[in-house]
Amino acid sequence: MTLETEVQALRQVPMFREIDPARLKLLAFTSERVMFSSGQHFFAQGDPSDAAYVLLQGKANVVIQTPNGPLQVAQFSSNDLLGEMGILSDSPRSASIVADGDVTALRIDKRVFLELLGQFPQMSVAVMRELAKRLERTNAKLAELSA
Amino acid sequence: MDKSLFRYIWTHSRRDQLVIFAVVIAQLPFYFWSLELPKRIVNEAISGGAFKNGNQTARALDFGFSLPSFLGGAKVVLFEGIEFERVGFLFALSGLFLALVLVNGAFKYWINVAKGALGERMLRRMRFDLVSIALRFTPDTLKRVKPSETATMIKDEVEPIGGFIGDAFVQPLFLGTQALTAMTFIMVQNVWLGLIAGSIVAVQFAVIPRLRRVQIRLGRQRQLASRQLAGRVAEIVDGMEAVHVHNATRWERAEIGHRLHYLFDLRFRIYKWKFMVKFLNNLLAQITPFLFYAIGGYLALQGRLDIGQLVAVIAAYKDLPPPLKELIDWDQQRLDVQVKYEQVLEQFSPESLIPLEIQDPSAVVEGPLEGPLVIENLHVYDAHGVLIEGLSLKTDLPVQMALIGDGPAPSVLARTLSRRVLGFGGRILFGETDLVRMTDATAGRHIAYAGTDPVLFPGTVRDNLVYGLRRAPQPGSQAEADRRRVLEARRTGNPEDDPTLDWLDYEWVEATGPHDLDARLIEALEIVGMRGDLYQLGLLGYIDAATPEEDIERFILARRKLEERFEGMEKGRLLETFDPERFTRQATVAENILFGAPRSGTASPAALMEDQTFRDALDDTDLTGDLVSIGLRIAQEMTEIFRDLPPGHPLFDQFSFIAADDIPEFDALVRRIASKGERSLKASEKARLIGLTLAYVEPRHRLGLIDAKLEERLLQARARFRELSGEDGPVAFHDPAALNLAVSLKDNLLFGRIAHGVADAERKVMHEIMEVVAELDLKEAVERIGLGYRVGPSGRLLSAAQRIKVNLARCVVRRPELLVIDGATTALGEAEGAKVLKRIVEMRPQASLIAVVRESAADTFDMVIKFDGTDATVEDRPGRRDRTVQEVAAQ
Repeated sequence: MTLETEVQALRQVPMFREIDPARLKLLAFTSERVMFSSGQHFFAQGDPSDAAYVLLQGKANVVIQTPNGPLQVAQFSSNDLLGEMGILSDSPRSASIVADGDVTALRIDKRVFLELLGQFPQMSVAVMRELAKRLERTNAKLAELSA
Repeated sequence: MDKSLFRYIWTHSRRDQLVIFAVVIAQLPFYFWSLELPKRIVNEAISGGAFKNGNQTARALDFGFSLPSFLGGAKVVLFEGIEFERVGFLFALSGLFLALVLVNGAFKYWINVAKGALGERMLRRMRFDLVSIALRFTPDTLKRVKPSETATMIKDEVEPIGGFIGDAFVQPLFLGTQALTAMTFIMVQNVWLGLIAGSIVAVQFAVIPRLRRVQIRLGRQRQLASRQLAGRVAEIVDGMEAVHVHNATRWERAEIGHRLHYLFDLRFRIYKWKFMVKFLNNLLAQITPFLFYAIGGYLALQGRLDIGQLVAVIAAYKDLPPPLKELIDWDQQRLDVQVKYEQVLEQFSPESLIPLEIQDPSAVVEGPLEGPLVIENLHVYDAHGVLIEGLSLKTDLPVQMALIGDGPAPSVLARTLSRRVLGFGGRILFGETDLVRMTDATAGRHIAYAGTDPVLFPGTVRDNLVYGLRRAPQPGSQAEADRRRVLEARRTGNPEDDPTLDWLDYEWVEATGPHDLDARLIEALEIVGMRGDLYQLGLLGYIDAATPEEDIERFILARRKLEERFEGMEKGRLLETFDPERFTRQATVAENILFGAPRSGTASPAALMEDQTFRDALDDTDLTGDLVSIGLRIAQEMTEIFRDLPPGHPLFDQFSFIAADDIPEFDALVRRIASKGERSLKASEKARLIGLTLAYVEPRHRLGLIDAKLEERLLQARARFRELSGEDGPVAFHDPAALNLAVSLKDNLLFGRIAHGVADAERKVMHEIMEVVAELDLKEAVERIGLGYRVGPSGRLLSAAQRIKVNLARCVVRRPELLVIDGATTALGEAEGAKVLKRIVEMRPQASLIAVVRESAADTFDMVIKFDGTDATVEDRPGRRDRTVQEVAAQ
């Protein structure tokens, strides 16, 4: 697997979809490809947020600690972006991510990610657009619930 | 040292000077003889003067002298000579001439060597005296001394003085005699002409030194200015952080530029004066013959002077200027070095030096430090006012005393008690001994002081720890005494001690030898809480000659065990082991070709491309072209990927192969090749492109540039390089069955590369190393290598906390009767500091401890001195110590 395949994977991520391919290549090159074995933590709930990940291969579970023990709340699969909220809001991890089977992911370092956002307004706008969309969806859900 | 240079030289080199002078005088007759002989050869042997009147033979090699006429004018014949025929006579005289040439040469050789040796000996003495004085600087003096200026003075400024010393007395005597002879001769011929010559000489001697005085003054300014320049440069280098933090480079540049201009200006003025004086000197020298011709000629025309006399005077005058000129030069040099000497001495005559008897190394009182400790009405002041006012106390030893309170007073008391502050009022007594009168040797034996800003010496951790154990050359370690070295030392007032011997006082720390001592050092580092760091330093350290064979074998065993472990973990992908027959994908291309590490220097791509063997290996395996192409691909990718980032962006340095500064250059290169093709590449450009390839790691950079076929060919290059370089060449090759002395212990244990892209790999690998090291009982062996870690200038390769700990351990190792800790433990943080203090007391409850601590940490001490500003309250809690001692005894 080379840089090109990673760029392809990044392009599948909604947040990065509209970004110039050259920038995606920069993002891919400055990121690190990491392999996790089954059961290994990407990070644990409460850890400082130091990176975001794009899944290239395999699945990963989102687990939160509850008074009754760990609870799996969601699952990520290929081309999903995870952990980006933590690095944007600069808050500790709100959940743990655990590899489900062998996983290959692209680790985007927080500092590098923020540098790139600062450098390229186009990327910032894309990220903002994605966040706004999510907010809109949440609002819609909230309205549904309270209705 | 004497205030006057000449007295200093005379005191220490009188005998040698006189011997040299005697030899110079003894050589004179031979010299004149050799001047006279050619005349005889021409007149008597060749022109046949000796064979006039039909003589068939003539005497040669006769030896004698005539008495002056006032002694009767008799001729004393010492050797009658031998009768020769004409040809024989010529060869006899010529042979004599040759012999005289040899004799004169031998004299000259001896005199030069003797003068040189004399100068060097005096220089050695002078430098040593200066360092000795520096060692006696009091703490107050040290605050005002710049280290780099002191170094410049001792190294550079006294150098010309050494060159002058050999000539200091001999030259003026010798030249003076010569000049005086010529003058007398002229006087004898004609008093008036003699007076003329004499008055011109007098003018020369009166005016020229006056003019030179300006020159000397400028020279003095120049010396000061260049010394200050050295000081400033050192300041900038030392304070580089501040310079950058405050963006003061522009100011510093201007400041240095200004200094350089001032130096240039001084030099320029010196030149102008120097050549002016030279001109005047020559003028005066030339004016005398003018006067001789004009006045002497006039007198001759008037018939008041014999023409023969005039010719003789002019001929004699020819001999006068050279010695005069040299005399004046000598005088110039004398003034110059005298000024230098005074300038240097001025810096080394601070008002207060530590008295010599205090530093007498033999004046040591053995046995425990006697109590009680009595402080009577202690007052300490500094330039800003009172620091401690009227402190009195008395306590038996040993004592555990805490000094607490805000402000400088606790630290000042700690420094006073450990003799870092010498100017104080009142008295401090240890038993009967006044602290002020205690010799350095005794204090060094009993008292240790650990501050927060310790000075470590470059060298290893071990060197620093044993620094306090170097008391005297150990008996039994006495090597074959080097007679010549000792004699020279005696002649120059230098110490006879040989620093290459073993100086370590093993007995003092109850050790039997170096191996045993290491255990004590590790113990001390454990006490100050640095054992974990030592282990890490050991992993980063290198195996050296001191590492025992059995340790090396066990390290290799550890390597095997680690390999097995890693094979069983994470599907074996955590670590890629080096294999001579296999390409290491996780390592750079350069590492793959070298398959080892250079014994000295670095293996940076640029350095490798400078290496002929390396380039040959690439050429021989036809790789050069391919590596250039790959380098070009990398350059293309990098310039494309990083194109839109502004130059100097931090991401460059972190990720790009290419330094930010070089991007435009590679960009231009890539463009040019796109239009003109690879053929247009110059050799240096090819080397730079190959440099890019050499740093490439496929799994890390993921550009898809290295395939199996290329791997195979790189392996061929590896083999070829090894063949060309040779096993004992500059590169130490990796060998699965042996350790590599050129790489760190950690790399030796791993014998491979940690895989890129395996989550958390580094931590897991370190954990495995730790386990295997513990399993094979290798921890101490690793720590011993840690003791060999080089700490860098002033210990800068260690962290601040590590430096404090090493310094503290250095004090602990010495087992002092009184350990004074001036905030060193506080600087380690509250919890850690308390632990360290506890361990120190536990180790030697019979010794005293005085520590500047925070109030919260003062609980465990049996005496607490609390400062409120300059006033102190003493709280004595003697029960505590007994309890601590009992607790320790019970454990």
